[in-house]
Amino acid sequence: MKRSYCLTLIALILLQYTNGWAQTNHPDAKCLICHGKPNFTVTIADGQVKSLYVDTSLVKASVHARWSCTDCHAVVTSIPHPANLPRVECTQCHFSGNKVGAPQGDMYDQYRESVHGLASSAGKPNAPHCQNCHGTHQIRRHTDLESPISRMNVSATCGKCHTKESSDFDQSIHGSEVIKGNPDAPICTSCHGEHEIRMRSDPASQVNAANIPNTCSACHSSAPLMTQYGVRTTQVKTYEDSFHGIAIKFGQKQAANCSSCHGIHDIYPASDARSSVNVVNIPHTCGNCHKDANANYARGRIHVDAEDPEAGIIYYIASFFKYLTITTLIVLILNIILDVRRKLITRKKPE
Amino acid sequence: MSPVDSRQAGSTDHADSKQTTRLYNILKKNDLEPDRYLPGLIDSALAKVSDSELEALVLQIVRSNNASTAANSQVSTSVHVEETFQRFNLTTRLQHGMMAISIVILILTGLPIKYHEAAFSGWLIELMGGIEVSSLIHRIGATGLILVGIVHLFYITATRAGRSDFIKLLPQPKDLFDWIQMLKYYFHRTDIKAKFGRFSYIEKFDYWAVYWGMIIMISSGSLLWFETEALKFVPKYMMDIATEAHSDEALLATLAIVIWHFYNVHFTPAKFPVSKVFIHGRLTREEMEDEHPLELEEILVERKRQNEKTSAKKRVNS
Repeated sequence: MKRSYCLTLIALILLQYTNGWAQTNHPDAKCLICHGKPNFTVTIADGQVKSLYVDTSLVKASVHARWSCTDCHAVVTSIPHPANLPRVECTQCHFSGNKVGAPQGDMYDQYRESVHGLASSAGKPNAPHCQNCHGTHQIRRHTDLESPISRMNVSATCGKCHTKESSDFDQSIHGSEVIKGNPDAPICTSCHGEHEIRMRSDPASQVNAANIPNTCSACHSSAPLMTQYGVRTTQVKTYEDSFHGIAIKFGQKQAANCSSCHGIHDIYPASDARSSVNVVNIPHTCGNCHKDANANYARGRIHVDAEDPEAGIIYYIASFFKYLTITTLIVLILNIILDVRRKLITRKKPE
Repeated sequence: MSPVDSRQAGSTDHADSKQTTRLYNILKKNDLEPDRYLPGLIDSALAKVSDSELEALVLQIVRSNNASTAANSQVSTSVHVEETFQRFNLTTRLQHGMMAISIVILILTGLPIKYHEAAFSGWLIELMGGIEVSSLIHRIGATGLILVGIVHLFYITATRAGRSDFIKLLPQPKDLFDWIQMLKYYFHRTDIKAKFGRFSYIEKFDYWAVYWGMIIMISSGSLLWFETEALKFVPKYMMDIATEAHSDEALLATLAIVIWHFYNVHFTPAKFPVSKVFIHGRLTREEMEDEHPLELEEILVERKRQNEKTSAKKRVNS
């Protein structure tokens, strides 16, 4: 057994060296004898039929065009292949300091600590690996519109597993803008992160209750971005100044964050009847936390900025107190200064 | 006791002091205790009579009063022990104390919410054990404040002392004139200070500022405390008004207490750094003369009336 393994290896190495002068001896040629046939399938244990066909044009168009099958499928050393071949490990090239120039940053470490990486190392069969998002033979740059990780395709890629979230998102204001090709609109990874996607309950997650305001404000506090869409940028500030915002900040986890009211994947403009912050839906939305919420909850602004005349009566109340405080304190402090001055003078006199 | 010391018992005026010395010498010569008789004599218009005549008169007065009237004994003790006047009774002091504690609690748990951006706010909330705990403490403080409010309303309606104080706290034209007089005094237009009664315009301002503050803070605070119940009856913008008013009035009240009230009571040169009146409720005669001369006058008139009454009763009895 060991001997035949060695012989195959030698044969393969020889094959590699003979590559240059015999086109017919291209290293992939052997693989494609079988894998180049579109009807090449295998029936797995549970009766599922799995295609083993490889469309070489996909590989040729991918970033890995210059590599041959066994560069990635390095464990395949014999024909017929042993059963239960492990999946391709991208890290065999994508490691820091690799000599073939495969891009590598912190992604792999981030992935390992992510919810996906943890699931994978816990041995969960459905846990996604690099290939599940980046593709297999057709791996392309994220700037390539054909890439499964291009802006337009991310929702569908995540949606392979996260079906409901993806379809909710595609209908939402964010998702529909992405579909329109709007480069400003956020995609899944804008909020959840890419390789570092973490559980919502993880304090380090970008979508942890405590971090949601920060995550949303990345876009929603940017005036140049928001003015294009007629969305206020004061929403983040007014939220932070509201009791919900303050409570979150000081560690109260039940307090409402942006998504508690606006929704998560299904965010719509307040004018949309489907929006959780549409006037009609406000009682129901507030009712998630505030028992017996009624129409009174919708009477008045939600994001109140007392310094803005648009806040109406609240602005006038705030102004009243502002001027009352200023005048009172000026009068009181002047009175104190005069009193102290005269008292000190009178005190000195007798001496 | 020397003649100079005896000046403490009476006025500081030069003519008066000369007369006091004469009286003192006469009493000494006749083996009468000056401490006991002098205070009762100095007010008599005896300055113009000759020494021998004065002596005869003094002896006559002393002998006729030798039944040791309450007035004499009272005044004479005041020479030994510094006489004090009770301005605030125990009930008022307790009300004040409870209110002070409540307000300190409310400020410490409320300001970090208002100034949530400041680093000290996070630190203070953390120190108290999180926002859930600080909210609970705030409500305990609020309960204290509401209780004081109720007790005070009872005090100013159902008790004689309370009613009398409340009437004296009502603003009057005199307060405006007093303030103008004090402003003149501050600008050296006059050397005479305004003469205050039981409550000066400063104290009246403090009282009514608290009154206004209590109404604003308790009404808005109650809405916010019982938010779910309140929203069954009032629209959301009422809650926003309550939030705004609660936050703004809190700042005004805090500044008024820390700057105005603390200056007038504790930091003013004569009292610096702390006045203990809020503990014992008493003022010395000197302080009364300086701060509440009209109230002192009233107290003395009332005392005299009482004395006359008792001595008249005694005469009838004997």
